[in-house]
Formats: sequence, C-alpha cells, structure tokens
Amino acid sequence: MIEFRDVSVTYPTGTKGLDGVSLTIPEGEFVVIVGLSGAGKSTLVRSINGLVPITGGSLQVGETDLSGIRRRSLRTLRSDIGMIFQGFNLVTRTSVMNNVLTGRLHSTSSLRSMLGWYSRADKEIAFDALERVGILEKAWVRASQLSGGQQQRVAIARALAQQPRVMLADEPVASLDPPTANAVMRDLQRINRELGITTVVNLHFLDLARRYGDRIIGMRAGKVVFDGTGAQADDAVFERIYGRSLTAEDVAAPGAPARAGTDAGAGTDAGAGADASTETGTGTRDGEPLDDAASTSPGSVQAAGTPRVASTPTDPAATP
Amino acid sequence: MTAPTQAHDGATGAITRAPRKPAPTAFTVIGLAAVLLITLWAGAGIDFTLAPLIHDLTRGEEVLRQFVPNWSFLGRDAVITASLTTLYMAIISSVIGCAVAMVVALLASKVSAPNAVVYQVAKAVMSAVRSLPDVAYGLLFVAFVGTGALGGMAALIMFNIGVAAKLTAESIDAVDPGPIEAVEAAGGNRIQRAFTAIIPQVAPNYFSYCFYVFELNLRASLVIGVVGGGGIGQTIMTELARFNYDNISAVIVLFIVVVFVLDRVSRAIRRRLT
Ligand SMILES: Nc1ncnc2c1ncn2[C@@H]1O[C@H](COP(=O)(O)OP(=O)(O)OP(=O)(O)O)[C@@H](O)[C@H]1O
Ligand SMILES: [Mg+2]
Repeated sequence: MIEFRDVSVTYPTGTKGLDGVSLTIPEGEFVVIVGLSGAGKSTLVRSINGLVPITGGSLQVGETDLSGIRRRSLRTLRSDIGMIFQGFNLVTRTSVMNNVLTGRLHSTSSLRSMLGWYSRADKEIAFDALERVGILEKAWVRASQLSGGQQQRVAIARALAQQPRVMLADEPVASLDPPTANAVMRDLQRINRELGITTVVNLHFLDLARRYGDRIIGMRAGKVVFDGTGAQADDAVFERIYGRSLTAEDVAAPGAPARAGTDAGAGTDAGAGADASTETGTGTRDGEPLDDAASTSPGSVQAAGTPRVASTPTDPAATP
Repeated sequence: MTAPTQAHDGATGAITRAPRKPAPTAFTVIGLAAVLLITLWAGAGIDFTLAPLIHDLTRGEEVLRQFVPNWSFLGRDAVITASLTTLYMAIISSVIGCAVAMVVALLASKVSAPNAVVYQVAKAVMSAVRSLPDVAYGLLFVAFVGTGALGGMAALIMFNIGVAAKLTAESIDAVDPGPIEAVEAAGGNRIQRAFTAIIPQVAPNYFSYCFYVFELNLRASLVIGVVGGGGIGQTIMTELARFNYDNISAVIVLFIVVVFVLDRVSRAIRRRLT
C-alpha cells in the first residue's frame, strides 16, 4: 500500500511539484495519473521511490516511511519498486540481457557486479522476465538494435527482474506509435493482473488512461483534481484536468497532432491487438541459447512476482 | 562589387527576402588590426628575417649527409633491448596509468562523484597532476629513484593519469543520465551505478584514450630517456654525445614507422570500439 498524506514537493528552484497531495493506493491496483505537462505527474511517481525527495507531509510505501529516509533504506525500498521511463533508459551499447540483469543488482554484491558475474539464479530470473514480455529471443542482442517498443519491453523486463511489489511508469508510451503504445500498456496491465504488482502509470491522455486504468488520478498544478474510475471521468472531469472543455479537435482523429497519438490508437485497436499477439507470441524458447536450467515451467515463471524476500538468490560465498 | 549583388537581388526573390549578412563590426576590424600590428611589432623586435634559410641552405647539405641512416645500428643487441624496454615501459605505464585514471575520473565528474567535496578534491588533484609536463616528471622521478626504467615508468604513469583522467572525466560528464537513473531506481549502489551504467557508456571513449595515451608514451619515451628514464631515449642520448647522427636517424626512422603503424592499429581498434 502506498499512502500520501498531505505530501508536497518543492524543488530547489522554488517550483512546487506537488501541493498537498493525499492519496491511498491499495496493493495490486492499476492506477493511471493524467494531467497536462508540468502538472506534477512525474514528481508524484518519482516521489514514491525517492528519486524526488518530498519536502512536506508524509509518504508511506509498504512499511517504509520516506520522509528523512537514509540512503541505505532507500536502496532497500527501491529494490522493491520497478521503474519504467519514457526514454527506456537502457544502456544501448550492451546486450538486452545485461540490461535486464540490472534489475538484479540489489541482490548482487558490488564485487560481482563489477565483474558482471551474476548468479545462475539471477540469470534465470532475467530470462523469465524477458519471456514474460515476449522478447526472450532477443536476450543476447545489443539493445540499440531493437525498436522502441522492444526497448520498452526490455525496460519492463528489467523492472520485473527486480521482482518488485510496485511498478512505476513515467510516460512509458509517450515515445511509441499508437499500436505499440497499446501493446506496451497491455503488457503492463497483464503483468499487474498476473503478478498482482501495484502499478502506477503516468499518461498524457485521458483515453489511454480510461482504457487501462482501474483508477484514474487527474492532476493539475501539483494538486489532485480528480480521483475515480474511467467511467466517472466524463467531459466535466476532462475540463477540470486540462483546464478547457473537450473540443472537436480533441476527438477528430486525423490531422490533430497533439491528440493524433491516442485517437489513432483507438482507431487501430484491432491492428494493435494483432501487433501485440505477434510480438508477444514470439516469446517461445525455441532455438534459444539456453541451458535446461533456464527452461522453467510456467509455475516458476509465475514465481517471478512473489515478494523478493522469499526468493532472493544470493551467493554468500561471493559476498566480500 | 555592389552592382552585381543588386542585379542578383533583383533576379531572385528568395535572396531579397533573406536577411542581409551584417557588415563586420568596428570591434572585429579594430581587433584584427591590433593583431596585425602586434605581430609586426614583435617581428621587428627580434629582427625576424627569413634570410638565413636561403643563405645557409647549402651548408645544411653537409649536415644532412651525416644523417644518412645507419641501418645496421638497429640490429645491435643493446639497441634491441632498449627498444623493447621502451615498448614495455609504454605498455605497463599506460595500463597502470589508465586504470588509476578511471578511478580519478569517476571521482572527478559531477555525474559519478559521491559528493561535492570529493569532486572538488579530485578535480584539484587532476589539474595538479596535469600541470607538469612529461619531462618534468622524468627529471623528478629520476632524481627520486635514480636513472633507469623504473623512474621513467613512474614519470609516464603520472603523465598518463593526467591526460586520461581529464579526457575520461569529460566523457563521463557527457554520459546519458537515463541508465544511471534506472540503476538508481533499481536500488543499485554507487559502485554498481559506475560499473553498470557509466563505464559501459564511456568504454569506447575510454579505451580510445588508453590507446592514445599509449601512443603518447611511445613518443614521450624519447624525452624520458634523454633525462635518464631508460629505454631508447637513453640510447639516442649516448649516440648524440658521440655525434653518431647516422645511428640516431636510423632510430628516428624506426620510431616514425613504429608510431605510424601503432597509430593505424589503434585507430582501427578505436573504430571497432565505437
Ligand atoms: N528537477 C526539477 N527542478 C526544478 N523544477 C522541476 C524539476 N522537475 C520538475 N520541475 C517542475 O515541477 C513541476 C512539475 O513537473 P513534473 O515533471 O512533475 O510535471 P509532469 O506532469 O510530469 O509534466 P510532463 O507531462 O511534461 O512530464 C513543473 O513546473 C516543473 O517545471
Ligand atoms: Mg513528466
């Protein structure tokens, strides 16, 4: 559970990122945050894993209180929280596998990570994560050779490899074309459903939010101005979030550059579905450079979502 | 001058519409004039003239004759040993120097330094190390540890740290912060951040600096040897004292060839790295 109690964030520049936000996000919920540019969406999401420190109120994530948290406990907290970014944030000149293994750093000693020497169990977790997003066959490809959609899936796999309890996504589909955006959103939704990972996603647009969010939080100028289901988010709510009413330009699919992304997405939903099934359908282990140990049963793939404490494979011998 | 321009303007509409290039400002004109004047004044001050180049051209021929390379010199045991010493010194110094440089660079970049104090200290150390040229280090270490390869290597290492740390720190400054943020968000510590997000990004540049430093070492070994730091430079010094210019020119030709080849090789490797 994530609990914001009157949280505010003031940046060193004096800008208010969050202004008295109170929210409770229960375990396993899929929450989408929408709002204009500068509304404070990123600030909200980044405060959850302490990338942005809060300057007022109190923020509780699981059992951890984030106000005045020490570096060490912050790292422990972060290991339980996966994060996906708009720009994917992969090390593009190294392999997909190396990127995904970044998700295992929290249970890898410094010495081992210096040598890039990950445990067998960690590699298995990484392969499972890649399989879950359907790009297992790309494990040894250089990340720079993948398409945007594939790179974002690698980023999702990296977050999954952490075996997190919370997944944060800061505009994960903003740099993807509509069908790919829908496919990535579906991946996130599926992971949320299958593994019960609490998911908080920032999106610019209300219609994508309606389609995927169990709950939508509308933000404006650092404040929460709407909190409800997609069905409740009507035109009046749109006006409250975006500060103007829904115009013809917003709904006309072609020729409206600002909205073209999402509306085209709605228009090509069948195509997007096909795209998703082809892309995620390739996640078989056929012809993969894997040994038997890595070919796990669906049961153990499922275990990727269990709390980290239960299954953290560390090699005590390698810890200096 | 103006007439054709006007005709041109009249002919094409696009040119007329484009903003006119502004005339040079008074500041530019005065600045250029000042530079010219200072140059002339400085030349006059030292009685600069190119005349000796022409008068003494024939005298140079005599000197040049003494420089016809004596190739057999290169086959002598002492020369081979000295050349190999230079090569080994260059290799060992670049390996050690670059390894240390990476650590210094990580501490001397805002991106990877643990805190502002470490960053400032590392920066200061880096400029201090860089303030001395290779010869100065040579003289210094030869005075400390006596003549021979050890002093020469110590000098090269210091010199290498100065060069490689500065270049690498600048590459780290320019690294994509995204992956660093991702590692941080995944609960990685500072060392993990450096090794999984920063070093892979700067690796191609870093290795190319390592090769560059190696090339510098080969060149610097001449001067290091001259001050007593061992290797082929010392051989040249001895031959110079004996006026054996033919031997020296053989060594220099060898040097040019070796540096040229290594330059090519290291450039090819660098291309593959990026
Ligand atoms: N690092 C920072 N330093 C100073 N001000 C910041 C910083 N990051 C964000 N802000 C400011 O805080 C406010 C909220 O920004 P935030 O990034 O949370 O908005 P956002 O809703 O994510 O916008 P976008 O849709 O453009 O990503 C903005 O006014 C922004 O200028
Ligand atoms: Mg944002």
